[in-house]
Amino acid sequence: MRGIVRVSSRIAHRLLASLPALVGVLVFTFLLMRVLPGDPAVFFASSPTAGPEEIQQIRVSMGLDRSIPEQLVLYLRDVLTGNLGRSMSTGQPVATDLAQRLPASLELTLAALVLALACAIPLGVMAALRPGSAVDHGVRLLCSIGVCAPTFVCGLVLIYVFYVVLGIAPDPTGRIGAFDAPPPDITGLLLVDYALVGDFESWLSAVSQLILPAVTMALFVLAPLARMTRASMLIALGSDFIRTARSVGLPPFKVIVGYGLRNALLPIITITGVVFSTMLGANVLVEKVFAWPGVGSYALDALVSSDYAPVQGFVLLMAMIFVVVNLTIDTLYGFADPRVSLR
Amino acid sequence: MRLHRRDYLRGAGGAALSALMAKHSNPAAAQSRANTLRHITGATISSLDPTFQGATRESLPLSVNIYDRLVSMGRRQGPHGFIFDADNLRGELAERIDRSSDGLTFTFHIREGATWHDGSPVEVQDIKWSLDRAVTARSFAKAQMAIGSQTSTDQFTVVGDRQLQIKLDRPNRLALLTLSVPFLPMFNSKLAQRHAGSDDPWAINWLKDNAAGGGAYSVESNRPGQQVVLRRNDRWKNGPDGALPFFQRIIIQTVPDVSARVSLVERGDADLTLDAAASDIPGIEQRGRARVLPITQTNAFQCVSFNVRTAPFDDVRVRKAVAAALPYDDMFTAAIFGRGQPLYGATWSEPPSPSVFQPMPNRTDLEKARELLREAGRGGGFRTTFSYPSSASATVDPMAALIKESLARLNIDVTVQKMPDAQFTTMLVERRLAMFFDFGTSWLTPSDYIASNFYSGPGRWNSSGWNNPEMPGLIEQARYETRQDAYDDTVMRMVRHIRDEVPVVLLWHPSHDAVVGRDIEGYTYWFHRGADYRDLRRA
Repeated sequence: MRGIVRVSSRIAHRLLASLPALVGVLVFTFLLMRVLPGDPAVFFASSPTAGPEEIQQIRVSMGLDRSIPEQLVLYLRDVLTGNLGRSMSTGQPVATDLAQRLPASLELTLAALVLALACAIPLGVMAALRPGSAVDHGVRLLCSIGVCAPTFVCGLVLIYVFYVVLGIAPDPTGRIGAFDAPPPDITGLLLVDYALVGDFESWLSAVSQLILPAVTMALFVLAPLARMTRASMLIALGSDFIRTARSVGLPPFKVIVGYGLRNALLPIITITGVVFSTMLGANVLVEKVFAWPGVGSYALDALVSSDYAPVQGFVLLMAMIFVVVNLTIDTLYGFADPRVSLR
Repeated sequence: MRLHRRDYLRGAGGAALSALMAKHSNPAAAQSRANTLRHITGATISSLDPTFQGATRESLPLSVNIYDRLVSMGRRQGPHGFIFDADNLRGELAERIDRSSDGLTFTFHIREGATWHDGSPVEVQDIKWSLDRAVTARSFAKAQMAIGSQTSTDQFTVVGDRQLQIKLDRPNRLALLTLSVPFLPMFNSKLAQRHAGSDDPWAINWLKDNAAGGGAYSVESNRPGQQVVLRRNDRWKNGPDGALPFFQRIIIQTVPDVSARVSLVERGDADLTLDAAASDIPGIEQRGRARVLPITQTNAFQCVSFNVRTAPFDDVRVRKAVAAALPYDDMFTAAIFGRGQPLYGATWSEPPSPSVFQPMPNRTDLEKARELLREAGRGGGFRTTFSYPSSASATVDPMAALIKESLARLNIDVTVQKMPDAQFTTMLVERRLAMFFDFGTSWLTPSDYIASNFYSGPGRWNSSGWNNPEMPGLIEQARYETRQDAYDDTVMRMVRHIRDEVPVVLLWHPSHDAVVGRDIEGYTYWFHRGADYRDLRRA
């Protein structure tokens, strides 16, 4: 019991400590958007009959007629009450938009991450076991290709091969087929939702929509994960305790996975956290190519049209996710290495 | 045959993968596919109410499928498909329109038996409310109505069970035409008023996300920024011959990637896309898996515009010099692959037709350009910029390179600036650009309307900021002119001013290039540049 209290008080402490950073991010993004040389009121009043009067009305309705400090105070007050403003391009409250789109990004990112880890760790371990061998070079080649080819190129090639030429992939237009029934909307993660309601036909359909974008993203992050695994495995395998374990005749699997990989895990977890946060925000291009309704493409569209509120909301969301991911990673350290504890 | 262990595994894995990815097919699904039109677009729909200030451009065409207007333009067969016909107005929600002989009173007879989506009958009070809303509420409709001389609720009177009159103080050529644009939807006022509040008497906030219409389609679901699904209103009878549209269901889906949009139509998974890249069009035509409809957008133009308010383009001789130095033919080929209709290269000295949109006597003539520059005292050249929004880069990138190259021969050093759309529009409105690309569409085609939007006034669409003292008078004179020959004379005078002062260099009417599935028929190019799903059918 006391342990749980201690851990949760530490977590609360950590979350509290991240507040100033979040406020900083908020203010910085707010100011940055105001510095950008585009006037959203002008942009959204581009109807054939819109004159200066209409532009002014839109400006007032967006609150842009007030001074910047005044806008900032109002914005901070709104954020405290959970109101992130309204997007001009979708016409919806930003909080609603983000809540609807975040599960899409999360599902894609998690699927890609699981896929990447499932490939990268075995590949990294194999490469570390025989450095300089054909396997090692093969892994290096694969990683180089994954990193060199920009994600959207991979995505387009996959679409071309599996959809356009072979015709075995469904059309690359989002999370469910256009003619499928709408999802049940429980958690927003389609694979979870369909499993919960027991609709396995739709579940398969959702998986088939997810495969290509997930593979595209996984390819991109394969390299850092596999290279990090290889490097830290090399160090671990070279240490004294591995030599001892081998010399006393422990089975190779126990030596490599039980002692080697366990000790090599810390840097892998760190890089996984970094990769996850990056993927969530940086998968804009994959989202664009596969018409995936995620937060990244949402923020990019808003940025291009100088739509302030969605960009600010997106940055705040990313900052919060980063805090949570870091916290999770730090907690995982404890499991990987009991000597490290959450402080 | 020897089956190797690994080959077997690989084959089995492949089979499992294809089984997983293959779409489930059953006869019912195939049936619904045939009755469903899937329209793929790169844009997003932000509002179901087209008059909402801030509605994206694509929200406007959508509304004509959901809301009926009092009148609608007809269509006529062109060489590559149907095109809207502004000379052929028909009643939509009005079954008959009487016009008084002095042209000041219009009487609309509301169609017998017309209903809203919720089944309640269309009443004349609904029409009155919708027109009152158009001239009162804070919306895009207000300015549109002013163009048709309708500015006050006093002008709309209920004169019978099904009759409503619109009274004007002067005969206006655009009075009736302006009621046919997407900004003038007719609302189910009882439904809308239930959702109006004291701070929002015209239900602006509610109507943005909810439809209260009686058009051919009702909204089945709307996920803003992703997908809108429409379902046919089987009670609808306000079409040209009272017939129902062919498609029972319309899926409008946002797919940001331009090549994916084309692939979807080519593979038959989608039926229509309107925003394919110009550079992809020849390939689509060659492969022949989808049809391209190269309909010239006679109400749209692309141009090179000058900021006439600041040096060096405040000097008409400099503008004329640039107009004589642009490499028109090369630009026509490189920018839009010759798909369109040139608005340059004419040889007239007196305008041959009373139209603001006609080929202007601008031709590539470097000698003349040099002489004009010398006269303007800029024979040594100058530095300037050529700007365009990044959304237009597919068209303008090659054009910008050609302009830079050509003007360099006159010692004009052009810096090419490509900028985000919002920044471009802001700088344009603040008149901080020098020379730039612009693209405009005029919903209504009478020349006085085009001139009022693009050649006068403080608005964004008078992109050059041109302020000819005579133009506003000419436009007003033309709008209220009832005699055709006098109207034509006035338009000719406008055209001469435009030729003499070259505030913008018209380049061409671009081609619409709708990409449709091979079995889709009836596509019509509308003035709003969007799809009217009521026109379409599957062969």
